[in-house]
Amino acid sequence: MSEIVVDKLTHTFGKGGLEALTVLENIDLKFEDGSFTSIVGTSGCGKSTLLKMMAGLFDPSDGQMTLDGELIKGTDRRRGMVFQQDAVFPWMTVAKNISYGPRLRGASVTEQREVEAKWTEMVGLKGFEDRWPRELSGGMRKRVDIGRVYANDPDVLLMDEPFGALDAQTKERMQSDLLEAWRQSKKTVIFVTHDLEEAIYLSDKIIVMSARPGRVHHIEEVTLPRPRTDEMRLTDEFIQIKRRLWAMLEH
Amino acid sequence: MDGLKKILSGRFVLGALSIGLVLLIYTIITSRPDNNPALLPPIPDIVASFFTNLAAGTLLDALWASLYRIFLGFFIGTTLAVIIGCLVGWYKTIEYLVDPIIEAIRPIPPLAYIPIIIIWFGIEEFSRVLLISIACFMVCVVNVIAGMKNVPQVYVDAASTMGASRFQVFRTVAVPAATPFIITGYRIALAAAWTTLVAAELIAAPSGLGYMLQEGRRYFLTDQVMMIIVIIGACAFIMDRTFRSIQKRLMIWSETRE
Repeated sequence: MSEIVVDKLTHTFGKGGLEALTVLENIDLKFEDGSFTSIVGTSGCGKSTLLKMMAGLFDPSDGQMTLDGELIKGTDRRRGMVFQQDAVFPWMTVAKNISYGPRLRGASVTEQREVEAKWTEMVGLKGFEDRWPRELSGGMRKRVDIGRVYANDPDVLLMDEPFGALDAQTKERMQSDLLEAWRQSKKTVIFVTHDLEEAIYLSDKIIVMSARPGRVHHIEEVTLPRPRTDEMRLTDEFIQIKRRLWAMLEH
Repeated sequence: MDGLKKILSGRFVLGALSIGLVLLIYTIITSRPDNNPALLPPIPDIVASFFTNLAAGTLLDALWASLYRIFLGFFIGTTLAVIIGCLVGWYKTIEYLVDPIIEAIRPIPPLAYIPIIIIWFGIEEFSRVLLISIACFMVCVVNVIAGMKNVPQVYVDAASTMGASRFQVFRTVAVPAATPFIITGYRIALAAAWTTLVAAELIAAPSGLGYMLQEGRRYFLTDQVMMIIVIIGACAFIMDRTFRSIQKRLMIWSETRE
């Protein structure tokens, strides 16, 4: 079980000051165990802020979040995060990056080797174990990043526009590979993006947020069958959802 | 043909050419009939002074005395700088406590401490090593702090969301991320060590390269003065080069190249 519940969450930057800015207001959400949920919205709707708070990188000014009933406070390994920026450690090889989490907890060399072998293979980087990150392309570095978080075995995977900086083709490959990894591990995934097509292709549920202050505007259930295929992107159902969401973001 | 051209326009050949040109101009000036060799000794005199001092053993004695002070002072100063700089740059409480002191002392040139060090500790070996340590520490610590403050936030966030404790983030992320700055700190400290060494030996030392410079001035041995200057330049150059190759090996992961 790994279910995140957001309860009456409000966040104000510089609270009490003259330039106080409320970025999130009264958010109530529930992310079910093993579900894939996307959060979309125009820039400034606080979607990244919400995700970072779920990771525990900072605390909300009001309200709370729980993971399986346990209050979220500070970071821990149960909630792994993939960032939009390149977060791969340049001073470690691909393999050492992958086994970073287990190494933190004192895993033996044999265990580290196992984790490295398993996850470099899973993210399609077999043969690149001993490379330095600077020798890899942006897409490959993102794979290292995702492999590293998976290898750390969190309960919930928080992804903040992870494919935002990639070209269209790489992005589509990464999306279907991500779905494959998710299908095998059944972790709860919360995925922030501004790309509607990406959200529809990946998710069970899409949360549409409105900006200034950020509120939950609409929740779209995506009923497209799984496993998802690239052809689905051209079906009527897919395009209808996209059109509907698009209109909401336009308003 | 192309390969030859590449070699001839390469770093080594052009570098040797420019040094050769300087030596040539110096030779032309010193071989003019109106040149006073007591002020501007010709190159053969300088070379002769080198061999005389080498044979007498004075040069090697001076060299070892100086290198010993450099290595000891450099080692003590930079080690303290790395330890203190890492802590100050990472932990806010320590920063607020220690940073004002560092900032207050930083603008003072290390040579300004010479009188007080002599008053307190006398003209001893300890005093000279202490002075070099201070000089190395001050230039190095600033770089180390800057390095720790420039650790990209996303690395810190990535490590913490994987369950790293504050100390683990410090050890496994902040320190390695700051190494480029730290190594630069070492190199600047090395240059500072030479500057301070010569100054310290000029003023108060019974041995060393600085002492030989002073001796050369006192007995009007311009060729010896010139020779020592070249030796100091060569030593500092060799040490910096050695450092650079260490840096290259340590920083193999880094994108930045020379």
